[in-house]
Amino acid sequence: MARFARTIAHTPGCPKKRNRAAAKTRWTLRRGGLATAAMTAIDPIVWNDWHPVAARCTLDPARAHTTVLLNQPLTIAIDGAGTITARRDDGGALHQDERYGLVWVCLGTPDRPVLVIAEADEPDRPAVVVGAVAVRAAGPRVIENFLDLGHLGYVHAGYLGDDPHTRVLPYSVAALPQGGIIATGCRMYQPQASPAATEGFDVEYVYKVERALITCLYKSNPLHRDRFDVIYLFVQPVTETTSVAHPLLLCLPDGTTPQGLRAFQQTIFLQDKPILENQRPARLPLADGADTPIAADKSSVAYRRWLSAIGLTWGVIPAPAKAARAA
Amino acid sequence: MTNLATGVWYAIAADHDLVDGHVYRTVLGGHELAVWRAQSGTVQVWDDRCPHRGVRFSLGEVVGDDLRCQYHAWRFGPTGACTFIPAQPQMKVPGTIRARTWPVAQSGGLVWTGIDPAGPVPDLPPGTVARAIPIARPAAEVAAALVALEGLAPVVQPLDAGTTMVRAIATDGDVPRADRVLVALRRRLESAV
Repeated sequence: MARFARTIAHTPGCPKKRNRAAAKTRWTLRRGGLATAAMTAIDPIVWNDWHPVAARCTLDPARAHTTVLLNQPLTIAIDGAGTITARRDDGGALHQDERYGLVWVCLGTPDRPVLVIAEADEPDRPAVVVGAVAVRAAGPRVIENFLDLGHLGYVHAGYLGDDPHTRVLPYSVAALPQGGIIATGCRMYQPQASPAATEGFDVEYVYKVERALITCLYKSNPLHRDRFDVIYLFVQPVTETTSVAHPLLLCLPDGTTPQGLRAFQQTIFLQDKPILENQRPARLPLADGADTPIAADKSSVAYRRWLSAIGLTWGVIPAPAKAARAA
Repeated sequence: MTNLATGVWYAIAADHDLVDGHVYRTVLGGHELAVWRAQSGTVQVWDDRCPHRGVRFSLGEVVGDDLRCQYHAWRFGPTGACTFIPAQPQMKVPGTIRARTWPVAQSGGLVWTGIDPAGPVPDLPPGTVARAIPIARPAAEVAAALVALEGLAPVVQPLDAGTTMVRAIATDGDVPRADRVLVALRRRLESAV
């Protein structure tokens, strides 16, 4: 409980909401009994938010899907009629929803719905679930990696970048009105920007982080160069240092089959996995001096500072109080 | 972490572990280390962590006299100073961007380091360096058991509080025998728990 109390003390923004969240968490934990006693410190920001825990298309009536969310073991079942039921293995309460082909769970008290994605309603953009990628890395590290431009020419060489086109041109980062950050004017030469690309071209990017563990990018489509493909990355926080990445594609039709899109994105995500699993410390350090960013890391710096400002403690090493206030 | 004595030289790699282009990964008293040999021949022992975004250097590779990080391909020269940042190729790299380096000595076919090691590296008899054998027991216990092994000059490297790496010089050059002796010792110590 000690650490939880500190969490509340660090979030002066909306004390009422935090206290209600804290009360709810304690109640849930008590009901969970001894088995969940270790969970006293779950950050209310992630505890009261929605997280993806499974894709509908991978659920099998013959075999329940088991997973873990915020240290809580869950079982997700689908019956013959297609009804999905998510349960906490300790019998505790949860909230369940389904959006974008994914099953979403909130373990606490949801203070807002699952993120609304306007592009998901555009009729010519089929939603393609890429598949779950388990990563032994903290959720915030997975998000930061998604925002990173400087690694494209190396980790994704031949696809999303290439030596010597490794220069990261200046781009802009701003705060989103509803919270979060947006990076605009990002450009990168990409030899194989997507499965449909037949030649390399300068790809334009916009990145957004709308919630602590949700990010997305808009990138030029090789055929419809005036419109953008949209790729979302939802990170399921399993433990503080392990995650499941659920990428979602909202791409314009360009002749690529869903299988082709999935295979391409799985290749890309699996190239990032060994990097993510070799970052130290495991939790993302938020203090300004913890690492050595350069101008090309502007979005990563903004993401870390925003996490400090909202007081996230899950999967991070919080900055000392002073630094957090300055952000 | 374990209590790593200051002022002591520890053998943390054999010369033959440092293959061209490769970054050898090891641990000393809980400190993760990256060990590599520049093309010029100098051996480096660094914290196994790129100061930029924390990726283990041991994931990277040696290019000429530089170590290149696998994430953003930043290059670091033998002094630990960052020499090139491909994302901003025109930028003069600030001198403050550096890998954390450890003291290095080479002797008896082994690479040595430590925290503020004092004096010369321990003098070992001539022979051939045998395969390193990890033993899941604390360093003090392993060291005590190594005292009476004939034909072997062993050194211990505490990996963490409960695990120890044993490196030994086979003074008669009989490496297969040294290997059998150390593996038997490991079996004995680990099954005695």
